[in-house]
Amino acid sequence: MRHESDDDAESQATLTSIHAGESIATFSSEGYEPWLFQTMLNELSERELGVGFIYSILELFAARHGLSDVAVVLVNDSFGTQMFRLGGEAVTPDMAAHLNASPGVYCEPDTVPAAECDAIRTACQLAMSLHLARFSAAHDPLTNISNRRSFDEALEVAAARSARYGWAFTLVLVDLNNFKAVNDKSGHEFGNHLLRQFGFALRQAVRQGDTAARIGGDEFAVILSNAEGHESSGFTERLRGHLVALGNPVEFTIGTATSPRDSTDPGELLRMADGRLYEKKGIRIS
Amino acid sequence: MMSRTEEDFELELRSLPGVLNVGITKHTNGDVNVVTLVANSKDPLATRSAATQIASLYYPEAAVVVEDANRALVDSRQGEARVALIRADYDTSDGFCEVQLSVDGRTGIGRAGSGPLIGGAEATLAALRDLGYELPYSLMTVTNVTNGRDWPVIVTLRSLANDADRFGIARSEDDLVSAVKATLDSLNRFLSNLEGHA
Repeated sequence: MRHESDDDAESQATLTSIHAGESIATFSSEGYEPWLFQTMLNELSERELGVGFIYSILELFAARHGLSDVAVVLVNDSFGTQMFRLGGEAVTPDMAAHLNASPGVYCEPDTVPAAECDAIRTACQLAMSLHLARFSAAHDPLTNISNRRSFDEALEVAAARSARYGWAFTLVLVDLNNFKAVNDKSGHEFGNHLLRQFGFALRQAVRQGDTAARIGGDEFAVILSNAEGHESSGFTERLRGHLVALGNPVEFTIGTATSPRDSTDPGELLRMADGRLYEKKGIRIS
Repeated sequence: MMSRTEEDFELELRSLPGVLNVGITKHTNGDVNVVTLVANSKDPLATRSAATQIASLYYPEAAVVVEDANRALVDSRQGEARVALIRADYDTSDGFCEVQLSVDGRTGIGRAGSGPLIGGAEATLAALRDLGYELPYSLMTVTNVTNGRDWPVIVTLRSLANDADRFGIARSEDDLVSAVKATLDSLNRFLSNLEGHA
């Protein structure tokens, strides 16, 4: 159901998005529902597309057509098969079997023109791909904590704020003890399991506003916001406690540097924390 | 509008192997109550464990339910209900059992005394009623085939309408869980027929 007034409002506007490894998806008011196009523009003016956009679109879509239920099935090499249902409700196993991994939009009642359903599916596919690409670019795939790139960005921001406003933070570098030997003895799969568990324990141990990252094979880094150096002992205790709760036997060594006391230069802070870590290497924390 | 945190939470869950769908049910105060995953997973226990870890980071109070996407085929043959057991606890100090069940993202809780066998079955019926099911049955017997682990429990329910009995059988790691599952087993076809009406 097209609305002529909407057509007028959006005329020939075009949005093009490119995602690595995928074809270029082009949306224009010509051939697509204008309300969908406008909703995407509105969302992009406020924030990036993500799974939240998919639910927003399904809600608007259902309201426009008086649908009691709607689900979209997306299939893609990078995220496999994903089903989204109106209102964020769970798809039942019966429904999942019915949808049968066939990409498309499923409406109740089934009264919406196929072209509009296709446009909805394409928009949802784009949102999911962009969200996944954004998340993958910033996170370590094994542990789901921040990766080196986003850690470096977070450290730059924290150091700049510290230099400008005097806000204190402590950089903690964490190195697993004898991890290579464990990997060699028990295999990479077990090593990856330990790293995943360690990453999970790190996420449990940090507070809201802190940053935890995997910056190398068995090297992790944490930015403790609003924390002086001595406050890192609380973090270390929490981390140790969570590792014990997980039954993870891994031991670790830490080195710290605090801004602005030690420096407000990110590179210098990293060098200082690294130097202190290696001074302590061989002294087991737990 | 979903927050970035909510979006990333859902994306993390959807990134788990085999996960096809994520359903999130919230309390009226906005806190996440139940997270339901539909997964085509080779190892549902591992999927549930990973999902529980992720959920604990974002919403520590949320219950996590993993539904098997392949179970619909079994349902069609056996009429198995989609009611899922979230937890079953037995308090040895007062002899009360508490059972939490989930169906379609909703949860129900039931409590009953009388130990893990009879109490487990009664608490299961109470949890189903808490979910909104009208059950025209009363508990007749709960029988542990023999003492010890890994032996089945048989539950008998009697219809309030015509004295017809329904039987359920289950075997699991302890008497309480066996009693809960046997009770659900006895009601499987009945609950399936009620789907969508609870």
